[in-house]
Amino acid sequence: MIRLATDVGGTFTDLLGYDEQTGQVYSAKSLTTIDDQSRGVVDTIDAARTSDGLEPGQVGFFVHGGTTVINAITERKGVRTALVTTRGIRDVLEIGRGTRPDLYNLRFHTPAPYVERALRFEIGERIGADGSVLERINQDDMERVAKALQAEGVEAVAILFLNSYANPEHEAACAAYLSDRLPDTTICCSHEISSLWREYERSNTVVLNAYVKPIISRYFQKLETKLIDATVRCAHYAMLSNGGVASFRQASDAPLNLVESGPSGGVAGAVRIGEFLGEQNVLAFDVGGTTAKCSVIVDGKPRVFSEYKMEWSRQSPGYPVQVPVVDIVEIGSGGGSIARVDEFGALTVGPESAGSKPGPVCYGFGGTEPTVTDAKLLTGVINPDNFAGGKIRLDVEAAREAMSGLGERLGLNVENTAQAILDLAEANMINALKLVTIQRGYDPRDFTLVVTGGGGPLFAASLGRELNAKRVVIPPHAGIFSAWGMLAAKPRVDMRKTWFRELGAEAIAPLERELNTLRQSATGYFGQDTDEALTFVVALQLRYRGQEHSVTTHVGTKLDPASIADHFHAAHKTAYSFDLVGTAIEITGIHLVAELQSPVISCHTVNGDGLTKETAQTGLRKVFEGAERGWVDSNVFHREKMPPGLEIAGPALIEEPTTTTLILTGQTVQRNEHGLLIVTEKGDT
Amino acid sequence: MPVKLQTKDKVDPVTLEIIQGKLLSVVDEMAVVMQRTSMSPVIYEVLDFACGVCNEKMELVVQTNGITLFTGTFSTQLRSVVETYKDDMKPGDIYVTNDPYHGGTHACDFAIIRPIFQGSRLVAYALNVAHWVDVGGAVPGSLPPDATSSFQEGLRLSRIRLARGDVINDEIVRIIRENTRLPDIAMGDLNAQIATVRIAETRIGEMLERYGANLLTASFGAIIEGSALRSRATIRQLADGVYRAEDVIDGDGVTSGPIHVQVRITIEGDQVEVDFTGCPPAVAGPINCGAGALQSAVKSVFKAMVAPQEPSNEGWFQPLTIKAPNGTIFTAEKPSPTGWYYEGSVQASELVWKALASHMPERFSAGSYSSLCVIYLSGRSATGEEFIHIEPTHGGWGASEDEDGANALISLTDGDTYNYSIELLEAKFPVRVRRYDFNVEGGVGGGRFRGGFGVVRDYEILADKTMLTGSFGRSETPPWGAAGGRDGSVNRFEVIEAGTGKVTSYGRLSERTLMKGDVVRIITGGGGGWGDPALRARDAIDRDLRNELITLDDARSIYGYEGH
Repeated sequence: MIRLATDVGGTFTDLLGYDEQTGQVYSAKSLTTIDDQSRGVVDTIDAARTSDGLEPGQVGFFVHGGTTVINAITERKGVRTALVTTRGIRDVLEIGRGTRPDLYNLRFHTPAPYVERALRFEIGERIGADGSVLERINQDDMERVAKALQAEGVEAVAILFLNSYANPEHEAACAAYLSDRLPDTTICCSHEISSLWREYERSNTVVLNAYVKPIISRYFQKLETKLIDATVRCAHYAMLSNGGVASFRQASDAPLNLVESGPSGGVAGAVRIGEFLGEQNVLAFDVGGTTAKCSVIVDGKPRVFSEYKMEWSRQSPGYPVQVPVVDIVEIGSGGGSIARVDEFGALTVGPESAGSKPGPVCYGFGGTEPTVTDAKLLTGVINPDNFAGGKIRLDVEAAREAMSGLGERLGLNVENTAQAILDLAEANMINALKLVTIQRGYDPRDFTLVVTGGGGPLFAASLGRELNAKRVVIPPHAGIFSAWGMLAAKPRVDMRKTWFRELGAEAIAPLERELNTLRQSATGYFGQDTDEALTFVVALQLRYRGQEHSVTTHVGTKLDPASIADHFHAAHKTAYSFDLVGTAIEITGIHLVAELQSPVISCHTVNGDGLTKETAQTGLRKVFEGAERGWVDSNVFHREKMPPGLEIAGPALIEEPTTTTLILTGQTVQRNEHGLLIVTEKGDT
Repeated sequence: MPVKLQTKDKVDPVTLEIIQGKLLSVVDEMAVVMQRTSMSPVIYEVLDFACGVCNEKMELVVQTNGITLFTGTFSTQLRSVVETYKDDMKPGDIYVTNDPYHGGTHACDFAIIRPIFQGSRLVAYALNVAHWVDVGGAVPGSLPPDATSSFQEGLRLSRIRLARGDVINDEIVRIIRENTRLPDIAMGDLNAQIATVRIAETRIGEMLERYGANLLTASFGAIIEGSALRSRATIRQLADGVYRAEDVIDGDGVTSGPIHVQVRITIEGDQVEVDFTGCPPAVAGPINCGAGALQSAVKSVFKAMVAPQEPSNEGWFQPLTIKAPNGTIFTAEKPSPTGWYYEGSVQASELVWKALASHMPERFSAGSYSSLCVIYLSGRSATGEEFIHIEPTHGGWGASEDEDGANALISLTDGDTYNYSIELLEAKFPVRVRRYDFNVEGGVGGGRFRGGFGVVRDYEILADKTMLTGSFGRSETPPWGAAGGRDGSVNRFEVIEAGTGKVTSYGRLSERTLMKGDVVRIITGGGGGWGDPALRARDAIDRDLRNELITLDDARSIYGYEGH
């Protein structure tokens, strides 16, 4: 059976296929077709058929991921959407949280809401915080609103009533009424996509979901038809933001769950790499052209955020949404990051990027400012004759000239200027990697660093050394790792609910009941009669009484107050360096993860017959290891020709078509039986 | 040959940038721990705290703050502590101070200070200041709006050593516990603050190990000097001249008359002098601010002018001189009350802002609702538990030369400050929010670009004997328009009595007991307009009409609108 993934990015659509029986790998790349991305997806399938002999009829598992949803939202390509809400809170969506994160900007504005005031309608009704009905929903109001919605010609309606997380009956009644009156309009209720409190965040969630739902539904229908035409007739899945997959129908029901579909594929892949290595704690790091992303996996599970903020930055609150998204920290440090010296002599690298157009100076497409890639070229790490598998010849002289211009302003020669850029880029990356570990209470020394992306392996060795990571691993297909990771994802659903009780003996029975209800919903979600094929992970949101923020605490299957409390004290101590044993504990929420057990991608065992160190070595190159060590001779190897298990001492360079792995003096690397490159410090085991 | 060590040693720009990045990570980590562990809503929702590191010379090197009120207050506070203890500071010490007359802001703001050493050499200080919900005094929350003396505003621990050898002095902890109405929350905040300065010490320790004390302190100096250079370069580009502004503060909480204040700003070369000479003496009520708070008020606007997005440190403020005689409303001395100091200090900020706005339209907007518009609701919930709910309210900001003002943002004194989620509040306190939307009735200042809208927020009270306290500025004097734009609308709050429906309106209220069914209506003003209203674009007026933000009558009378 062939497993096939396509990852639609901003510029390119990637394809990766893997034949479970033969171990054959299929890969292809084509330009993303902006107007209708499904064409680009089919283009890659055609390309793989031509180049690698892919037989679409043999595909038994197909997954689609990428930027389809997030682009529709950020480019404002959704439909005309209205909001129906509780009387008195018409402007909550526009007020947002009223923060000014850009403190000293006296002209700051909150980002504009996706539904303008004229399309925000109020209805008389009220549910209390305990779920009781304080005021019945007003029928006349519903009729008036239905007429107005019709007159305005909206295509989608989002419904948010206060406290619907505690009792959704009014939202459901309103949805039923409006569906009846407006049969061709998409109607979304907040409680269907989030059972969490906080009315603004839930409003935003349901509004954005409604905004893209009609177009995403149409997109998946179209893609399905095209896939069937192309004889890919197996079950079709979409990559979600939570590290799992869902059927096209499930994805169309709640498209906002696809908001970080691409990066989440990479995280799912890192979890899988951890499984191959028997490693529970993985720090995943991916360096692209413009940004680097890192994510932490603890106990074999990715961390899933409860509050993801679209378009967030230090200067903008962005748009918070309550959908489960793997915890990814993104920084403006990538291969294309531009280095500059300001008028006061300060050097900065990024966040501005030369992107793919004009790209780094060495691409010769018109870039004039030196970038991280130029620095890697000038320190000998990148081979100018074998970049992108030899498809692009890099212009070393142009890069050198640009670098020397920058160096003059710093009083440094070319290689020291390049090294300065790399040191700064690395420092930014280290800060981000520490943010996802140390600031969350984890010690990087307990982690295996899994590095991917076209730019990642160039930095992997020195990042691993700086962080004191256990070891550094470069998976195969590092350049298109998100697509590979999508083949490692299982059907998954995250059921989350705001739910209050003081932790104690009396809380257990109602908690069991809530969990049972959630388990049943999950079973129904997967269309199963029983939950035999499902695995569940239960986490509770817990806090000490008086606190506001809760700590997500994984609890075992057997629920008893004492062991829940123990887990919580430990989790609190990990996260915040202290616990308050003896203080009352409150439950504020339940998070149930359900996964449908199903086979995922395996790694073929490398056949080492005929592979020797000598045939793997392609040459020798000088690499600059900083001012102290200077230029050192490094052996260069071809990754695919390295015999499994052979230890190679640094300094060394391991080349493959999409990237190069740098091994420093004092480190060793081996390609293991699964084809993973494993870098360790000499003397470590 | 002996190596000559100087703090003036030039640090290479790469190392400097890396060290600065690490320092920002340190204060970020402090803030994360603070926000997540604090038990007090003022800290986790309002972010009423700041974390920072000062160098061995007590100059601010790096700071993170969620609000502007703590801009540049660390060094004055730190100096007062160091002057007290001089050479008696040792590794493992922790100090606490909350004295508005020694560099602090008001008694509710507790500063925790940790000196950081390498061996016996002092290299830095880690600081954390946070607003505590209650520190004793005349009323719950410690801020009686009609206080006439600082002795009504709670416990003042003026420059006290809290720990030696990292062992906390239980006696001081007991003093604190016994002097607050909410000892558990206070202890939670104290623990959180101590945790943050300890984390800072660990991280700075790692940097010391790597770079050594000489290089690190030299880097501190270079970071400050680099910002000073940039700051002076920006000031040099401004037109030399004298800029003035006058304004009115509406009542002090004890008396309700207008209080006239003024500023005179001189820009000359690369220097800026801000002179408050001529402002009245400290007033009877607690809206006075101390000299430390005045520093932060002026520095906030100065920062907005020279480098709004850059991380704060002492260097940015080197070209700035603040002149103000002692004992005025902006330089209050003991025992003048300062509990609601931010009501006074924001007006000092706004004077500077107003004086410069039309000369630097790319940086400044017209006047905003300004007052933090804080109310306190306190009492007992159905289960008999005591509660205090403190809430600042968001309001309308002024228009600028090329866009309408921002709606419903938090005032200048705060910053990354969240409004309270209605659902969260209703689950926690005996109140129900009946309305939270734009203050369309009050309106905004018209102009070629109009001001942004304030809000209306209605609280239905669900428990008898709930106490209401509040202090809103700009309840008489609206936000100012600029360049021919009109003034905005005023802030106030009302009580609508259950049954009778009787409405009483307030600007500043010391205390009123509410009964079940009463409604508290909080109203914040709209910002000032920019430019002649006659020049407002027709489609902008149409859009406001369509969105029901303006009536047709008003569109005609303010803008001369001729559509229908």
